[in-house]
Formats: sequence, structure tokens, C-alpha cells
Amino acid sequence: MREITLSQAVNEALAEEMRRDPTTFIIGEDVAEAGTPFKVLSGLVEEFGTDRVIDTPIAEPGFMGIAVGAAMTGARPIVDLMFGDFIFLIMDQLCNQAAKTHYMSGGKLNVPLVLRTNLGATRRSAAQHSQSLQALVAHIPGLKVAMPSSAYEAKGLMKTAIRDNNPVVIFEDKLMYQDKAPVPEQEYLIPFGQANIKREGRDITLIATSSMVQVAEKAAEILANEGIEAEVIDPRTIVPLDEQTLLDSVRKTSRAIVIDEGHQSYGVTAEIASRLNEKAFYHLDAPVLRMGAMDVPVPFSPALEDLTVPTPEAVAANARKLCAGEMIHAA
Amino acid sequence: MPHDVTMPQLGMAQDAGKIVSWLKKPGDAVSRGDALFEVETDKATMEVEAQADGFLTGVRAEAGEDVPVGQIIARITDSADEPAGETEPKSDATQGASATAALPKGREVTMPQLGMAQDSGLLVNWQKAPGDQVAEDDVLFEVETDKSTMEVPAGAAGYLAATLAEAGETVPVGSAVAIISADRPDNPVSRSFQVGGDETPSAPAPKKAAEEKPSSPAAVTARASAQPRQDGRILASPKARRLAVERGLDLARLVDAGHPQPYHAADLDRLAALPLPAAASGPAVAAQRLTAELDEEGLTEFVSWARDLQGLADPDAILAGLAGACLPVSGTTVVAIQRLGVQRSYSVPAGPDLSQVVRSDDRPALLLRDLRDSRLRHVEMGAAEVPVVTITAAGCGLSITLECSSAQLDADDAINLLTEFAGRLEQPLRHLL
Repeated sequence: MREITLSQAVNEALAEEMRRDPTTFIIGEDVAEAGTPFKVLSGLVEEFGTDRVIDTPIAEPGFMGIAVGAAMTGARPIVDLMFGDFIFLIMDQLCNQAAKTHYMSGGKLNVPLVLRTNLGATRRSAAQHSQSLQALVAHIPGLKVAMPSSAYEAKGLMKTAIRDNNPVVIFEDKLMYQDKAPVPEQEYLIPFGQANIKREGRDITLIATSSMVQVAEKAAEILANEGIEAEVIDPRTIVPLDEQTLLDSVRKTSRAIVIDEGHQSYGVTAEIASRLNEKAFYHLDAPVLRMGAMDVPVPFSPALEDLTVPTPEAVAANARKLCAGEMIHAA
Repeated sequence: MPHDVTMPQLGMAQDAGKIVSWLKKPGDAVSRGDALFEVETDKATMEVEAQADGFLTGVRAEAGEDVPVGQIIARITDSADEPAGETEPKSDATQGASATAALPKGREVTMPQLGMAQDSGLLVNWQKAPGDQVAEDDVLFEVETDKSTMEVPAGAAGYLAATLAEAGETVPVGSAVAIISADRPDNPVSRSFQVGGDETPSAPAPKKAAEEKPSSPAAVTARASAQPRQDGRILASPKARRLAVERGLDLARLVDAGHPQPYHAADLDRLAALPLPAAASGPAVAAQRLTAELDEEGLTEFVSWARDLQGLADPDAILAGLAGACLPVSGTTVVAIQRLGVQRSYSVPAGPDLSQVVRSDDRPALLLRDLRDSRLRHVEMGAAEVPVVTITAAGCGLSITLECSSAQLDADDAINLLTEFAGRLEQPLRHLL
């Protein structure tokens, strides 16, 4: 199978869906000629023109509001938010309007909108351009949240998102845009709420999202050399969450670490760990651990920044402790 | 304002640096940014710049010396003629040459010996920071030996003037770990044991104090490490508990077998492999406690009579003889008498002849605890290795308590033993009948 970058995979997904459905359009900063700072959208304006690939001023609440209104009135906007950190600027349009319109209109209005944005630290972009804010939107009922972990997922999830009749937020890992993965030439969609078992194992379950899937897979490699078989699961969407696959795995392995690049406190890891605790308690042989980014603003200093995110070695070290029956939190 | 020049930390894990050369001489005028001296670490040689304008004075370290990070090695003062009192005597500097900063004066706290064969202890953590005020009983640090973790108290009130070892270091027994000063220290010292070595301040007085072992084992509060909690709860994972219930296994048997907690699913196989407790040993752990009350006792009178008229000088032999006769054994038995912490055993042959009761070194079949002279009136100690009879005073009479497990004495024997013995203490002549 051919291999393409995550950037190319997103580009393909957008082009295919825009050809398929004339009501789709892209709106955001530097999306047309510039093709975004990460060059994800290169070539789209040439094919679809500036009516469907719309450059906006630097005014996130404005273009997000335009997109919500367009979605309510029959279009399928794809909003490009240059950095995930800018989500704070569009919170009202996203969380108070897009997320609640279908409910508050008694089902008369839909908001079939996709918000494309990104997450991920270690790109030396400092505290305001390095956050992973998926927990913020996952908290709001009415929003779906997809977190692709490779080019394959990025394409399949994007196409599903565009066809969804409700608002979907997609977080791409900005460090993974140039990472290649096998992506079929023929069309495919990845349904939401269907986790992917990336690697099977019987000793411990590593549940990882987006950028952390690679980290978990590398940790599993390290552990395999020591005779510990780790199962790696990528939920792919955190809303809706494929609880069943996660529970089945944990019931098998009795141990789990949940890894997500958002800050560790009050995050995605806490939510998943809590569900495992509630629904698989009597199958747990060790506490479910969370591993997220350190609870600090992401440092600009490269040396410090690298310390704030989970590493394969750190995941492996924790997994080792859990499998050895070491007390993680002494009574 | 004089400005201190200290040894900088130039690497992540660097704790000392070697002064390669001084680039300024004492008394030289320096400007902020001037290179003062060169330092060599394990990685590189670097120039250290002056952080203030002034004159280089009070140089306390010479080229070639290793100096701990953070130690003051010179000053930058407003005039080249530094007031005499402002600098340490040069002798101090040479003394500190081997990475030993001048230590504050005070009472040393040493690594206590917590076990018979222990020669060093792992310093787990500090509970006080350098400069903290401490009371005599305040816990200074925790020590881990091969058996347990203990808290070591300050042993004297004052200020923690120096910590001479870091958490995670292993320190030989008797070595100084801290210094408690009477006065608030100006510059509390904090260093690792490795850097300071086993050197102690040269003053002999604190050395003597160290030998007094201010942290005697008695003053140490024991806290077993990773041991089951005192409330009797067993630490086990939810899965281990569920499997134990499903398989009808009792996790408490793992505790009894001395298997360390917490328990996980893998421990269930170990539990299943444990030999099943013998039928009799189930109730064996249950303690029996019987008490007899006597309004009057005849023992005192009987002991005088036996001494004066029978030549039996040892009252404990009489007591042992009376008790031994009540045990459900035929033939010689051994009874131990315990009083004021001293225990003596007596061999008691069959028959009423108390003159045949003699001292013995054999293991006793019964322990008789004589607490008549104490203020204790009620005992409840639970079963011990052998049945225990405790005698306490009760007005003009006695209270006699028997504690044993049902494996040691069955109910009938226990009742019989106590009834017979109480009867003999009330009227010892019964023994002769």
C-alpha cells in the first residue's frame, strides 16, 4: 500500500469530500494561497477557488460565527483554526452555539460543522501555541472529538466528520504532519466510537490518544524485550468513546495506563481512568494510572519542554511497576 | 555591600568544581562581567564572571582546590582594604580544602544503630530543612534498615544548623548526619555525605556528644516499612479480592504465612498452595481467659511456715510446686515464675513433696506471673507460647487469671487448673492432702 504523510491524507480527505458535496467549504486564516502554516491545504484553492477556500482576517470569533450560521442554514463548513490554543477565542461560538443549537431548536436545526485544529508540544512554539486542549471541548455535550494518530486515521476520521450532521472537533498532532503511514487509494471512512487495537498483549493495557499512540507503541516495544506484553489501544474518538473495547482489554490484562498529551489534571486520562475504575473495578489488579503533560504552561526552553510530556521510557517504567505489583501510592 | 563569589553549578549533576586558576588577584579592582577564575567540571572548563563591581577580597580557595557548589570562595567588596572582621581567617580556607565547608558548631546527631548487625542506614528523607528550629522530640529524618524504617528525633532543642547527608545516601552507623546548634545559624550547611565524607568538626566536645548516641534505639519510633496497616485491613487489589472470594480462599492466610502485602491476582496461586490449616488449629488461636477471685489468701502464712518449720527457703519454689501440681500432666513438669521482669524456672516432680522442687533450665509448661506487688489489678494479654497464670492483689485476697489457647489446654483442663490452683492459694494445706 502507498504511504503518504498525515498532511497529504487530510488534504485528500478534504478534496474528496468537497468534490462529493458542493455545500462544503473551508474557512480560516491563511487557508487559501498559503495553504496553512503547515501546508496541509496546499492546492485546494486552485481546485475549488476562493469561494470555497476562504481566507479570513485574524478574527477567530468572527469566522467561527460565520461558519456556525452557515451550518445552520444548510452548508457544511470546515473551519481551520491555525492552533488549538486559539480555541479559547471561539468558545462561545463552539460551546454555547454550535454544541447546543440542535438541542435548543428541538431538533429543527443542525450544525454540520467540522473544526479542524491541532495539539502537541515539543515544537518549540512556547506556551500559547503548544497546548493540547481536547479535554476542554470533550467536556461539552453536543461536540464530538476525534483524535487521529496517523495518516490513515486522519483521512478516515476527517471524511466521517464532514458527513456528520453535528459539530465535530478534530485535533491533529502538529508534529505528525510529515509522518507517513499506509493509506489506501480507494475510499474508506472510519466510524466514530470505534477504538483500534494497535497491538495485542495480555499483561497491561496502554490506552493512548493522538500523539501518545506512538509513545505507547514504543513503550510496548521496550516492555516486550523484558517479557511484558502490553496491549496498545487508540480510542480514535474520545467523544463518542468506545468504552467496550477498553473495558474488554482491561478485564483481560487487569492493568491500565491512560496516556494523553493534555495536562494531566482534570483531563481525558482522568475521564477514561475513572470509567475503567467504575466499570472494571473487580478486574483491576493495580491502580489505573494517568499520564499526561505536566501541569505547567508549556516551556519555551527545549530542554524543559521535552520534560513536560510523557515519554516511552516513562510509560514503560510505570508499566513495569504496575506489572511487578509495586505499590504506586503507599497507604 | 560586599558581594559573595560562590562556586557555580555548571552541570545538571555537578556538586563540586575545581578552581583551575584565578584570573584576578586579591585586591584587584573588578567590574561586573570580568572573568574572575576558571572552573573545571567533569565536562568542561569555564570562566566565572564577577557579578558586581568592586575589589576582589577574602579569597578562600586556591587554584587546584575542589570546592562544593554554592560555597563562598571570595568576596567583591567596596574597597581593596577589606575590614579584618569581614573575612574568615585563611586557615579556615585551607581546612575547607577537601570540599569540607566550615561546619557550624553544635551537637551532632549521628546515624543510630537500629539493628544488631546493622552497620549503616539509608537516609530516606529529611523531615526538617537546614535552618529550621527543632524541638528535642521533633523527627529529624527517617532511616531505612534492612528490616524497617525508623524516625530519628533531634535529641536536643535548637536549630538544624547542618545536614551532612542527603536523602538516598547510605551512612555508616555513628557518623554525623546533622548538627543541632543552640543559636540560629547564619549559614545553615546542607551537603551530601559523599562530599563531606565521614569528617566531623574538629572540636572534640561535639564528638563526645556524638558518642552519647542522642538517638538511642529506645527514643526511636519504629515504623515497619510496607507492612500491613495496624488497623488489620489487608492490602489487596480488587481483582485479588474478587478471585479470593470466588475461589473460597482467605487472604488472611497469606498474612499469617508472612507473605508481604499488597496482594495481587498472582498471589492467589501462592495462597491456594498454602497447606490448609489443621482442623484443630482453627480454634487454637482463640484465647481463653479465666479469672478466680479469693477473698483471703493462705499463701503468705504457708510460706512462713514452710520456711521456719520445713526449711524451704525459696518461696518461688513453693509457688511453682503448687502450680505445677495443677497441670494435667503425670510426672515432672516445669513451671516458670516471673516477677519484676526476672524469670526463674523450676522442675516440679509428681507428688506433693515441695522440697523436691528445684531450679531448672528447661522450657516451662506454665508461666506464673506474680504481680502481687504491682498496682495492676486486671490483666488481659491474650494467649502466649505457654499457658500463663497471673496473680494480682485484690484487697486482702488475690485475683488469679489464666490465659491460654484451647490448643494448649482444653476447657476442662483450664477450669480444673485454675480451680485447683486457686484452692491451693486459699488454703495451701490442701496441696498436702
